[in-house]
Amino acid sequence: MNIAFYLSGLVAVLATLGVVTNTNPVHALLYLIVSLISVALVFFALGAPFAGALEVIVYAGAIMVLFVFVVMMLNLGHEGAAQERLWLRPRVWLGPAVLSAVLLVTLIATLWSGDDGRMIAGQTLTAKAVGSLLFGPWLLIVELAAMLLLAALVTASHVGRVPGPTPLESGDTQPRQHTQPRKEGA
Amino acid sequence: MTLTATHLLALAPPILVCITAIVVMLAIAWRRHHTSIAIVTVVGLNLALLSLIGVWRMAPLAAPMLAIDGLAIFAAVLILVAALACATLTHAYLAQYSGPREEFYLLLLCATAGGLVLSASTHLATLFFGLELLSIPLYGMLAYVYGERRSLEAGVKYLVLSATATTFLLFGMAVLYAETGHLDVAGLAARLGDELGAWGLAGAALMMMGLAFKLSVVPFHMWTPDVYQGGPGPAATFLATASKVAVFVVLLRLVITAPAFQDGWLHNVLAVLAILTMLVGNLLALTQSNLKRLLGYSSIAHFGYLLTALVIGDGLSVEASAVYLVTYLLATLGAFGVVTLLSSPYVSGTQGGEDTAALHHYRGLFWRRPYLTAVLTITLLSLAGIPFTAGFIGKFYIIALGVESQRWGLVGAVIVGSAIGLFYYLRVMVTLFLAEAGMQRRDAPENWAIQAGGVVVLGAAVLVVVLGIYPAPMIDWMHHIEVLVGG
Repeated sequence: MNIAFYLSGLVAVLATLGVVTNTNPVHALLYLIVSLISVALVFFALGAPFAGALEVIVYAGAIMVLFVFVVMMLNLGHEGAAQERLWLRPRVWLGPAVLSAVLLVTLIATLWSGDDGRMIAGQTLTAKAVGSLLFGPWLLIVELAAMLLLAALVTASHVGRVPGPTPLESGDTQPRQHTQPRKEGA
Repeated sequence: MTLTATHLLALAPPILVCITAIVVMLAIAWRRHHTSIAIVTVVGLNLALLSLIGVWRMAPLAAPMLAIDGLAIFAAVLILVAALACATLTHAYLAQYSGPREEFYLLLLCATAGGLVLSASTHLATLFFGLELLSIPLYGMLAYVYGERRSLEAGVKYLVLSATATTFLLFGMAVLYAETGHLDVAGLAARLGDELGAWGLAGAALMMMGLAFKLSVVPFHMWTPDVYQGGPGPAATFLATASKVAVFVVLLRLVITAPAFQDGWLHNVLAVLAILTMLVGNLLALTQSNLKRLLGYSSIAHFGYLLTALVIGDGLSVEASAVYLVTYLLATLGAFGVVTLLSSPYVSGTQGGEDTAALHHYRGLFWRRPYLTAVLTITLLSLAGIPFTAGFIGKFYIIALGVESQRWGLVGAVIVGSAIGLFYYLRVMVTLFLAEAGMQRRDAPENWAIQAGGVVVLGAAVLVVVLGIYPAPMIDWMHHIEVLVGG
């Protein structure tokens, strides 16, 4: 289990370096996903399977979905496909693939050796323990987090409003151009 | 330790503010009405302020992760007063804004709750959540009139830089946790002892860096003038008053409860930062031609003076910094309030554009708006620390503290800083009284005195003068704080 912990930690660091150094956002995202999955494995090794599962579902999962959405909304067409083919050179996907392979080997090796119930130190933190901790002594933090999300949501929905505040009522300045999202493709 | 009914009662102020935020949200969903939303906000904040009287009787009390003591109640009073003033100013500022106006109050309430939690936090988790709950609504408040490039720029700039500072803070917390295995400040202090190891020092320094950014201490001050200039008046007011008070109080609490934050090396760094902050803040303010930028630099300098109390960190330092915070808060509320009232681009006739805060807009203001000018003059005098204003009492405390502990370098910097400060405050005042030179583009609404915003700035100015002449009640109150903190 020790080896699993350190290997996935190393993969996390390398993948995050890949995120930071990559100039192409899509490639950086690819590394980010690998990084998140390896952090999940670190959580499993530490005996916090619930946190690990959340990491995979929320972070890796949600970011994957967002990523797919962005690709779908951009809908680049033929030129985009050519561009994609140009981007899909081995040096782009080799790094994340090797890192993911390391993670997979670590995972399989851990399962193979029957190490799956153990962790490097402490006790296993189950979902129940996390829940009773959160809604017991940490209740205040949960409520604060709720307010925080509310504030962030209000901020995002206000600033993200389309169109901007147009001076329609006074009418003494030029009305702003409404930037409606264009419909492309079918 | 789990929450009990007593704890819930003692936590009434932040809970009331949060409930008000939710009521405001539901009211917005039901029907948008600017004035009634503002009234709900003000009523909620006042209820929270009233509940402090009951909380005062219970103090000191240790709720889970929060301390309800004199310092927390003191900070809560300042934050709630600042939030009340901002809410009233917002009503005047956004009166003619054509976009949605009501969300501003919702964000203001969330940020106030964050400030209340932050200033009472005795646990790194509440510290972090309080700080974020204070900062995230501020992004929205600063970028509120996002049709204006300046406002959007201010919001985005604050968002990016503040997020960077938060990562430093979080990393510092992680290092301290790895070193000690504790997240509560008392446990941290016990484990770290008086001498910090390399990791403890790194953690404490990183945390200091994150908090220093929010206080715009000098190496981390670059964002301040742009954000103050670009953000809408009320948001800048909140940033300069409530936000800074909350962060300073939590820093003060860290220094009092964890002597590790007063470790020799860190102590010297803080002293150097304090001197740099005073001098650089004041020097940069000299050449400003925009009143909001000038007040931004002046607030940097004032937190340099306050850091002096933190560096000395013994005897009178809690009392001195509390007195200074009160005087700073009142004067800043008054000055920013007047600027906000005068500079709103959303008064009748004009729509949009920047806030009119350039100094030449204020030329000869006295001959058109004598009362507002009087308020601005008094608050500027107080910021400069002239006798018979509250600012003098604050400066007096800081200098007395420095002299008593024989920190001559710090005292010298305070004096030099104040001398430089006097020059630019007087420059603004001279401008106010210069003879009229052409038309003013925008102006305060004619009936400003009967509007609530006018009452707020007048109240701030009156308090500045009263506390300057008769500071005894304020000082008595500060003694109580010190007793309750036990510092």
